[in-house]
Amino acid sequence: MKNLTIRNLSKTYFDPYAGTNVTAVHDVSLDVRQGEFVSIVGPSGCGKTTILNMIAGFIPHTGGEILLDGRPVKGPGADRGVVFQSFALFPWRTVLENVAFGPKMRGVGKAEREKIAYEYLALAKLTEAAGRYPAELSGGMQQRVGVVRALANEPDVLLMDEPFASVDAQTRMTLQEELTRIWQEKRPTVIFITHDVGEAVFLGNRVVALSKGRVLEEIAIDLPRPRSWDALNDDPRFKELSGRVLQLVRSA
Amino acid sequence: MMQHRLSSALWFCAPFAVLIVLWAVLIPYFNFNPRLFPLASSVIQAGIEGILDGTLIHHIGASLLRVAVGTSLALLVAIPLGIAMGVSPVVSAFLTPLFRFFSVLAGIAWIPIATLWFGYGFGAITFVIFNAVFFIVTYNTLLGVSTIPLHVRNAAASLGAGRWAMLTEVLLPGALPNIVTGIRTGLGFAWRGLIAAEMIATNVGLGYMLFVARDFYRTEVIVLGMIVIGVLWLLLDRLLLAPLERATIERWGMVQRA
Ligand SMILES: Nc1ncnc2c1ncn2[C@@H]1O[C@H](COP(=O)(O)OP(=O)(O)OP(=O)(O)O)[C@@H](O)[C@H]1O
Ligand SMILES: [Mg+2]
Repeated sequence: MKNLTIRNLSKTYFDPYAGTNVTAVHDVSLDVRQGEFVSIVGPSGCGKTTILNMIAGFIPHTGGEILLDGRPVKGPGADRGVVFQSFALFPWRTVLENVAFGPKMRGVGKAEREKIAYEYLALAKLTEAAGRYPAELSGGMQQRVGVVRALANEPDVLLMDEPFASVDAQTRMTLQEELTRIWQEKRPTVIFITHDVGEAVFLGNRVVALSKGRVLEEIAIDLPRPRSWDALNDDPRFKELSGRVLQLVRSA
Repeated sequence: MMQHRLSSALWFCAPFAVLIVLWAVLIPYFNFNPRLFPLASSVIQAGIEGILDGTLIHHIGASLLRVAVGTSLALLVAIPLGIAMGVSPVVSAFLTPLFRFFSVLAGIAWIPIATLWFGYGFGAITFVIFNAVFFIVTYNTLLGVSTIPLHVRNAAASLGAGRWAMLTEVLLPGALPNIVTGIRTGLGFAWRGLIAAEMIATNVGLGYMLFVARDFYRTEVIVLGMIVIGVLWLLLDRLLLAPLERATIERWGMVQRA
């Protein structure tokens, strides 16, 4: 089992302007089992991106440890796929080539990796857009590409940092529903970061509430799947769970 | 599309056509001294002669060869160097002023020292072209690499890109818009520098052809040379560089369509 174990993780930045150290993440511990969907929710500046960047290996941590499948994380790697808030697609590559990028890096031949890419593009209803360049797509479509590009590489863990924050509300709901559907089909391990409580509850099996760099509480989300906004909008259990998380986040 | 291209090409040529007509009409009309400015017909005559006896082709060939060699050598060094410099923010910040300085100097200012170092001939002129292209392209490459968003590089890394793939799949294409712009500007300087250098430092080439014609009051050869220089540059720019820019950069949406 490819589990992710985070123990006593902390991060202290040096702020060159103030000349002082800023501790953005304090003593965070978290276990994520294979196939789980964990949402991390918290207000702006509480250290979400910092945690995700450390798991992705983009920045070093200053304390504790991050173990994937028992091995410590050192730097970025294909075992941890990342979906960025700003999409971070390769503008010089077509949609198809963007999605085939991971398999290409693994040395998969052209025909085979395009087959993989088409399969994932179909999953996100993007088959039509395969030959286009990112600049020719809407924001919502770009982020679909971002999601399937990470998925097509079949990472052990998929890390998502507020991926739907920069699209309009309707598109966001569609993307959220698509993500739950894709998750059920492919069962990737996901860590999903957001400041939107409703989104965290809607998507996750578990919600981790974060404040000022510390974990407040973990809440299991026992809502049935498949999930859709039509069904959940007026669902009392959904409201109850969202209310609890919201209260947690706001009280801190 | 084809129609559009054709009509824009026609529009581009229209003012030149007017100019040529004015020239063909006005010079004979005012009975202008041909030792000061030639008749359109004698320029055409000179052009035909130059082509038939091979001298014009010879001069053009020599000039283009120098540009090709100087530019290729410059690109070969400038692009890898620019990328290597751009990857490290510290190195790039340190060297940027230097490359800006030399970018300004590009071209003609190098001619005197080039002739001292390389003597008269191919070496000196190629060196001038090399410098015109090298500094500007290095600077632009460096700029291009440092403008690639960090998250795009991070995305590549977390998709499994190693050092080599990062270079060929991210840094190079990411810097390409700037590189192409650099090549376009650099070649512009190189082309001017070439003509100037050829007037001084050689015995073949378009610049030389112009300069020697002056000694014999052959204004028709001078004007012919000027036309050839301008037309060659426009062809190079319109048929090679501009399409390159269009094909990549605009499609990628990395610069705004003008
Ligand atoms: N490179 C850095 N240098 C210094 N301080 C930093 C750096 N990056 C983040 N911080 C600080 O660390 C804290 C957490 O930042 P982080 O970006 O992780 O928050 P976040 O939860 O992702 O916020 P948001 O929801 O706004 O994206 C903030 O106080 C921020 O100012
Ligand atoms: Mg953030």
